[in-house]
Amino acid sequence: MVDPVTARTWGYRSVFVALFAALALGRMMPSGGSTGGLPGPDLILALTFAWVLRRPGYVPAWLIVLLFLPLDLLTYQPPGLGALAVLLATEFLRARQDLARTLPLSMEWALVTAVLIVMVAGQQLVMALLFVERPPLGLDLVRALFTAAIYPLAVGATAYLCKVRRASPGEVDALGARL
Amino acid sequence: MARERQDIDYVSPLRRIGVGLLVLLCLGVFLLWRVDSPRVERVRAELVDAVVPRFEFVSLPVRRLGDMVSDFQSYQRLHQQNQDLRRELQQMKAWREAAVQLEQQNAKLLALNSVRLDPKLTSVSGVVIADSGSPFRQSVLINVGARDGIIDGWATMDGLGLVGRISGVGDNTARVLLLTDATSRIPVTIQPSGQRAMLTGDNTAAPVVGFLDDPSLVRPGDRVVSSGDGGLFPSGMLVGEVAQGADSRLRVRLAADYERLEFLRVLRSHAAQVIDDEGDLLIPPQPMPIPEALLPNDKDETAGASGDG
Repeated sequence: MVDPVTARTWGYRSVFVALFAALALGRMMPSGGSTGGLPGPDLILALTFAWVLRRPGYVPAWLIVLLFLPLDLLTYQPPGLGALAVLLATEFLRARQDLARTLPLSMEWALVTAVLIVMVAGQQLVMALLFVERPPLGLDLVRALFTAAIYPLAVGATAYLCKVRRASPGEVDALGARL
Repeated sequence: MARERQDIDYVSPLRRIGVGLLVLLCLGVFLLWRVDSPRVERVRAELVDAVVPRFEFVSLPVRRLGDMVSDFQSYQRLHQQNQDLRRELQQMKAWREAAVQLEQQNAKLLALNSVRLDPKLTSVSGVVIADSGSPFRQSVLINVGARDGIIDGWATMDGLGLVGRISGVGDNTARVLLLTDATSRIPVTIQPSGQRAMLTGDNTAAPVVGFLDDPSLVRPGDRVVSSGDGGLFPSGMLVGEVAQGADSRLRVRLAADYERLEFLRVLRSHAAQVIDDEGDLLIPPQPMPIPEALLPNDKDETAGASGDG
């Protein structure tokens, strides 16, 4: 018999995987005419950050690599680099989860924006150092800012639609340790 | 106190090692790709091959929906469209006259020298099943692949003009790198002046014309066709027409309808012959020298030569 806490954790993990798959699929649809114009926000990244800051246990590091590495491959980007950036960013946020728990949403938003910008800067730097063909810096930054702009929406969807909220002070995980 | 320390001792370092391994994995994949790109690209093609065709059933309704939305949007400017169409029709009538005359002329000329069009240039048709998914890469996936004999580097067109080239082949899918992608470079010829140039994608809808010999000879509206330089593409395929961009650079308005890429034709091109030995060109291959003893006398030889001529 699976105990309810573990069952809930795995349930939410599968919800995350389903959301991820749906967003990735939406991104790969043949939409046409995506040239020119400004790049849209990265919904997947916003969703991941919102979940990591709410319930890190639902989005473990291995799951992030398991999802983002194939995404890199499927979307014709340098494989591994995007996954690495997301992994490091989520680890950074995960380590500051106690801090983020006490912060209001506005400060959390600022933190996430900073992380997004550092991610872009880091990836651009690595690509420039290794002479990989890289996307234009300006558009990449604009994309990060768009992602930051929709972050509160991702938080809202996470909290009210998926019911993924921060752990309350008394909650424990399957082993009885405090969250 | 003791319990807490126990928790920290076991869980946290293990987790740190795990994350470290994951970081190394990602870094390893990235560096492997950087060092040995073809192998990782093959893995990528195989992954795409395994995943994407399964979602074809989703992409079809989405495409229909998108078409419906854009059709609906076009209703809003019905009147203006009507006028535009009338004007275009008027122009087309003039063009039709010209085309009919040219067709007759062409038929006569073809009959005169009985030209055979290049029989090697056959094509495989495929349907676009997915987009690249990234805002900075311009590529589409089509549902033909190595199974259908597709090879990396082949040219791809829609009904009218060049669309891109094959870059990555899986068993059932292939990726088409569009001309608008920032890594796309193809050699082109600009038609009336015959200038050679390089068409460079830059993630906008109209790629830039670069490395022009004499830009003053090129006018907006000139036809751009692929030149066979480098043996990459068959020559003479329509790419688009020259237009002056807002940044006053020369760009190409592509003939292919990039808004609605649905069916693509992959042209089977064949490896161009490379001439690396100048002697064969200037002097035709010599017959083997005939031994002295077998030679007939002089008179017979001249007779044979005149008989040949």
